[in-house]
Amino acid sequence: MSKFLKALCLGTALAALPGLAIAGDAAKGEKVFKKCAACHAVGDGARNKVGPQLNEVFGRTAGTAEDYKYSKAMIQAGADGLVWNESTIAAYLAKPKDMIKGTKMAFAGLKKQEDLDNVIAYLASFSSASPAAQDQSSAEPAAAEQTQTADASAAAAPVSATRDGGVFGLGREATEDEIAAWDIDIRPDGTGLPVGSGTVADGEPIYSENCAVCHGDFGEGVGRWPVLAGGHDTLREDRPEKTIGSYWPYLSTVYDYVRRAMPYGNARSLSDDDVYALTAYLLYLNDVVTDEDFELSNENFTDIHLPNEENFIADNRADEEHYAQKGEPCMSDCKPNAVEITMRARILDVTPGSVDDDEAAGVGGVD
Amino acid sequence: MSDTKGSPPQNLSRRSLLKAGLAAGAVAGSAGAAKAAGDPLITEVQDWNRYLGDGVQARPYGTPSEFESHVVRRDVEWLTASTESSVNFTPLHELDGIITPNGLCFERHHGGISEINPADHRLMINGLVDTPLVFTMEDLKRFPRENRVYFLECAANSGMEWRGSQLNGCQYTHGMVHCVMYTGVPLKLILEEAGIKTNAKWVMPEGADASAMTRSIPMEKALDDCLIAFKMNGEALRPEQGYPLRLVVPGWEGNMWVKWLRRIEVGDEPWHQREETSKYTDLLASGKARRFTWVMDAKSVITSPSPQAPVTHGKGPMVISGVAWSGNGRITRVDVSIDGGRNWKTARIDGPSLPKALHRFYLDIDWDGSDLLIQSRAMDENGYFQPTKNELRAARGENSIYHNNGIQTWYVKADGTVENVEVS
Ligand code: HEC
Ligand code: HEC
Repeated sequence: MSKFLKALCLGTALAALPGLAIAGDAAKGEKVFKKCAACHAVGDGARNKVGPQLNEVFGRTAGTAEDYKYSKAMIQAGADGLVWNESTIAAYLAKPKDMIKGTKMAFAGLKKQEDLDNVIAYLASFSSASPAAQDQSSAEPAAAEQTQTADASAAAAPVSATRDGGVFGLGREATEDEIAAWDIDIRPDGTGLPVGSGTVADGEPIYSENCAVCHGDFGEGVGRWPVLAGGHDTLREDRPEKTIGSYWPYLSTVYDYVRRAMPYGNARSLSDDDVYALTAYLLYLNDVVTDEDFELSNENFTDIHLPNEENFIADNRADEEHYAQKGEPCMSDCKPNAVEITMRARILDVTPGSVDDDEAAGVGGVD
Repeated sequence: MSDTKGSPPQNLSRRSLLKAGLAAGAVAGSAGAAKAAGDPLITEVQDWNRYLGDGVQARPYGTPSEFESHVVRRDVEWLTASTESSVNFTPLHELDGIITPNGLCFERHHGGISEINPADHRLMINGLVDTPLVFTMEDLKRFPRENRVYFLECAANSGMEWRGSQLNGCQYTHGMVHCVMYTGVPLKLILEEAGIKTNAKWVMPEGADASAMTRSIPMEKALDDCLIAFKMNGEALRPEQGYPLRLVVPGWEGNMWVKWLRRIEVGDEPWHQREETSKYTDLLASGKARRFTWVMDAKSVITSPSPQAPVTHGKGPMVISGVAWSGNGRITRVDVSIDGGRNWKTARIDGPSLPKALHRFYLDIDWDGSDLLIQSRAMDENGYFQPTKNELRAARGENSIYHNNGIQTWYVKADGTVENVEVS
């Protein structure tokens, strides 16, 4: 079935449900929801994550999902009578902090009307209440928008090109703009740094708005989200804390990684200057710089060295003793006495849900 | 499900049998009873023997039998903050042979599974090349291609066992490995198509996913045996394995096998990306950390019996089975001990023996019903053999996380249950 037909069928199915006359396309909304999925779950068995679970959100008073710890601002908004419906959710998702000053939802907002409509249609499919507000019938006939479901990209069939040159003459030359769009990596020697700057003080509000919800106000990490600061002099301890300040060798990695992958679930949304400011702020949280007016730019970037740079060495596994014992291993009477059990698995049952989080927390991660 | 009346628990999973507190004796008992009365599974006509089953096309894309529904990837929920940056594990204890079925290959994502229409996917080659190029999937399928079987192991496989035995099940202790046949184009051909400059020493693959995964790979390896793959076990890559395109870096840590591969940059220095500085560096007891520890050394594990695959028969013939692999080539030998490493017997390797692929081994024993401490020790074609966990700890401390290829011990008890232990 073509994408177009599928979208149409889905559209009809939705329209047939009572009370669901909305502009969006739930199937497309599912894709948009990926931007939310880092923080919200919806559907069967959805639980609270960084944000509250979003089943039955329509008709729900703001700040009232069970067992979820909201910001004071969100609880207040609910107390003031804010109920989630199509238009209030749209306003909130367009500019969360404008609508509810002090909300802890670290999400920049959805810029495209289409995305808003679609994600609302998707959320509506997990709510029994009508997405429209009770006291107004705001279901606009949005036929014009629906016809846009015929996806332009579907028309562009996969193509193959040949060219002069090369061994096989396959592919085409990349344009400068294309390379600039994807080649954003930065090396320790500063190669790749964009022109720009930002101060510690600039970075603080950007950090608290976009990062603190997971990484904590001081980079200490909320719950099991990664810790970004602290851990000095812990590398030889039982439970080393590897952070930018205690472990990372190069500052370029901070800039590169934040720009390519953070904030988690909304990557590539920060400006180059924002990333300079955030990088400066992370240096500050790690006590590498102490002045709030410190400005990091492409000019002074390579002057900054992280404390642990010298402690990385090449792979020298081959020097370990057991690598030398190549050849014929011992086959009989390899141990002098009968073998004893010295340790048993600490976690006897790894069936999901059976392990107490706190008890397990010290066990160590996958990487 | 059909009615099985008084028959042996045919449709009970091994798991529920275990939960019911099954001892080896219980099985022997029921088999005996069947003998006296005549096994009704034989003496009575069964439904499946009388009535017609589903026709063709009832299952246009076939799935395993309902009786295998417990054979799935599993995760350990408390390990990570979000499932989009997390890992699950291959059910090694349920598998045999050397090929991992596509749907059971463990997953490790850093920004969730990207769903990409191949028509919208591009591969760019840029940096120190004569001509920066963009390929569509259609372009890539016009290059000569190869079929190769390789294991892929996450460097953090067994990482939770550094401080001692933790998890009961080889799925959890060793399940970050899988082995499939890839179809793809040698990376060398793609690089040559763009023309590499003489000062080019490194390449950096990059993913199109929400983590835009990146790793630095030395040019020597890129030109040696890396593949740009679009098929696994004959069919398209699974979305969770990087559909439509992934890098294959044989024998080297899984994190480098960038999924949803969209770009390869060529350079003269490594990039020191987050996944090769903050992660995938091996912290030693001295506080120093090794970096660029790419090769996965020889390793093995007994998959049956193991904690999730207890012995459900009594004494007598018993098959000890497991897998072995080495990032440095072929496995030439696997030794198995049943007394905690005092005495060893060389196991039988069966099935294909391919470089940098899983090898299947068996030791067929006559179990006397007593407690066993079973271990396996792999040796590769360079004569390197697997160290003990204590040898590794002596050399590296307990904070390395990655590259734990120490010998695993399972404690098989007289009642057939099995536990993850460490021994003197
Ligand atoms: C970075 C994490 C994050 C992302 C991304 C995110 N949210 Fe939220 N969301 C939150 C948090 C945290 C709250 C609670 C806000 C508060 O208490 O102030 C919240 C609250 C909400 C609420 C109010 C729920 C209630 O019960 O009061 C809705 C609706 C919502 N989010 C929808 C979305 C949608 C839709 C998206 C994607 C377009 C999204 N969010 C993206 C973290 C996030
Ligand atoms: C919704 C939660 C969330 C938000 C918001 C968030 N991050 Fe992250 N961050 C993560 C996760 C998860 C990882 C690890 C990802 C992985 O597994 O690859 C991470 C990793 C990092 C790392 C690497 C940590 C390490 O030790 O390797 C840095 C640096 C970082 N984030 C910075 C930021 C900055 C700066 C922001 C704000 C612009 C931000 N993050 C916003 C969840 C978040």
